[in-house]
Amino acid sequence: MCVINMMFTVPVEELEKYYKTVRTEKTGIVLRVQALAGRVVRDWLDSHGFLELLPPIIGPVTDPGIRGAKQVSIDYYGREYKVMSSAILYKQMLATAFGKIYFFSPNVRLEPLEAATTGRHLAEFVQIDIEEADVDYRAAMSTAEQLLSHTVNTVAKEGAHLLEKLGRKLPNFTPPFKKITHAEAVEILRQHGENLNPSAEIPWPQEEKLSKIIGEPFFITDYPRGARGFYDREDPDRPGILKDFDLLYPEGYGEAASGAEREYEYSKVLARLRESGENPAKYGWYLEMLREGIRPTSGFGIGVERLTRYLCGLRAIWEARPYPKVPGVYSP
Amino acid sequence: MKTSPLLGLLLNLIRKPGTLGSAAKFAEQYPLADVYSRASKGRAAVFPLTELDEFGKALLGAPIYKPAPTRHDTLDSILVVPPLYTPLRLKKMEELMREPVFSDVETECSFGGFRSTMPIAVASMGSTPVWNKVSLMVSRAAAEAGIPMGVGENVATVWGYSKRVKPSQPCFKERVMTYLENLKGPHGGVFIQQSVEDAYDELWNRVYSDPDITPYIDEGKVGFEIKLGQGAKPGLGGETLVDRETALRLSQKYAFDADPQKVVKQVYERHSAPGTFTPEILGSMIRLMHNNYPRARVWVKMGPYRDLEKVAELCSAERADLLWVDGKEGGTGLSPVAALKDLGLPLVACLGRILKLRHRLSLDFICSGRLVDGGDIVKVLCFGCSAAGLGRPFVVAAYSNGVEGVRNYLETLRVEVQLLTSAVGKYRVSDLGPEDIAATDPSLARELGIDSVYG
Repeated sequence: MCVINMMFTVPVEELEKYYKTVRTEKTGIVLRVQALAGRVVRDWLDSHGFLELLPPIIGPVTDPGIRGAKQVSIDYYGREYKVMSSAILYKQMLATAFGKIYFFSPNVRLEPLEAATTGRHLAEFVQIDIEEADVDYRAAMSTAEQLLSHTVNTVAKEGAHLLEKLGRKLPNFTPPFKKITHAEAVEILRQHGENLNPSAEIPWPQEEKLSKIIGEPFFITDYPRGARGFYDREDPDRPGILKDFDLLYPEGYGEAASGAEREYEYSKVLARLRESGENPAKYGWYLEMLREGIRPTSGFGIGVERLTRYLCGLRAIWEARPYPKVPGVYSP
Repeated sequence: MKTSPLLGLLLNLIRKPGTLGSAAKFAEQYPLADVYSRASKGRAAVFPLTELDEFGKALLGAPIYKPAPTRHDTLDSILVVPPLYTPLRLKKMEELMREPVFSDVETECSFGGFRSTMPIAVASMGSTPVWNKVSLMVSRAAAEAGIPMGVGENVATVWGYSKRVKPSQPCFKERVMTYLENLKGPHGGVFIQQSVEDAYDELWNRVYSDPDITPYIDEGKVGFEIKLGQGAKPGLGGETLVDRETALRLSQKYAFDADPQKVVKQVYERHSAPGTFTPEILGSMIRLMHNNYPRARVWVKMGPYRDLEKVAELCSAERADLLWVDGKEGGTGLSPVAALKDLGLPLVACLGRILKLRHRLSLDFICSGRLVDGGDIVKVLCFGCSAAGLGRPFVVAAYSNGVEGVRNYLETLRVEVQLLTSAVGKYRVSDLGPEDIAATDPSLARELGIDSVYG
């Protein structure tokens, strides 16, 4: 049975009988490319002074829902705990302690059903979460473009025999990447007939269109306040503008990484938290940490499955990891 | 007279500790008998002849006495004032090729991103047991009638999201799905509130990713309502009384007057926070809603705050779909006496401010606060609101006569809105304007920016 949609068809049967799918030659190659990419990323980060840590899986709070995605709650000895939808709050704690850190962090987000057919959303996925203390978002972008270029170029070389079997030819990535602001991105899209809300995040289809128009890896920077989580730092010199970025793959593959300079001052975070309509009391340990003071940090996350999808030139993200969980589809 | 369900409601109120006084006061100060009569007789209640009367024998006249002196200006000081010359009636006559009558008035309209068969929305009522218990009857009748309906705060947190936590109390999703599944045609929509405590469980995210609700979101039939206080207690958070079992279950999420784990008593005061707002916080909140829930309508509901104009300007600039203003007369499950007496702007003051704003803002308004009949609704529309919000009458109608009671009640409103709209020579509710009303007090007229009955 297939769920037909304008965008992508979810191969429900392949997902339900994944024990068969995983044995196909193509899946084997994809997972080998993924393992290679993971090794290359770790090598680069380790050699640049980043400390790999074990990721948190559950905690009293996680990143508040992103674009309408729901968190998973569990009963933790009578108290409610959340499964990490992103370990962002922990990254600030760890970078304050160790300076430069990263982890491969499994995240769960119960995305709205519309996300099932975008070809780029899974309910369970892994992020390479990177955070560095005492640097601004420009420095984080520089880390991101270097890391991504190194990874793509190295996988293209060392994984050539695998990519060849997939018929995939990767372009050479050379940093620095092109950078456009969110306002410029909205304008470019407007010129291509897309009328967007200038104060919201760019919707997925338009982001894909933009990635096709620009044709090379590029950053969108300076999102408007309200379009992103409370932890993206607002530029003190440009109220309403956040010091954050998305990094996009070329060829219409969409978002590669998302990052920002972090809001780290207690009173600012408190006010921003209210925007999500939540009671700040829920974020007790985090706010206490901020009140005692932490180092300013910047960082970003790279989705491993999206990276794999790009490297292998896959149509849809569910081909880019073992036992994929497509939103709304019950599968092992 | 079928009084048992209504008596049941009152007995229920009386049985609850500490509510004896309030039940008696409610019966005395709220037009219960009027709503009861509408719910049981339907449109016959619009023309007040009882079974004993026969036309020609009854002598009727305008009810000019107020039941009790009011403490501040109310809608009772506003009258609908028909003209003799009615160019729009002439136009309607050209269209119909006959003299128009009141039933020719189109009550269909659009507001807040929803279409509606009438300029009426069912106010978001929350988790108060007396209301929650009959909420499914109202959900069904409102959906069938094709008018938008709200689901208030704390329902999911207190009564469960998709499973009942108490057999007698419907859970959140029953209220939402009963409404959505009974919609017919293009009219109606449900708007859902989330309190700080509901946000703990990410109610909106849960709704937005719920497969049963998704098709309705896709159809544009779902909205989220940011609640900025309510008429009966502007500046204060939700207050209610719960039994020990409920208090124990909710002890992690709400503040109680005593810790139910340590102090054993029958009833606990459950407090929730009013929420902290600045223009930056509210502005970003609306943006966040558009960003996170692009296929949902964004409604904002505020209490009668003195900075109404500033909030309205912000809502308009941030492209909220609608601003709902609940006047100080608005209903409540529980509110401190001092708040009911002394907090907030009366409805008529809110309406005056909206009248002045409506031309420079692109924003739909709804007002609520002790609105009971078609006259109240028409007056609210004349002040520039797109619809009127009603809450309590639906509770009384449901207790009086179940789903049928709510249907009957809505029918009386429709007939009265048509009668009064046609009386001022208009045949679309959206044509109503400030020229159709006048205040009985010249200084009130001046303050509101409308005519005085004295010309």
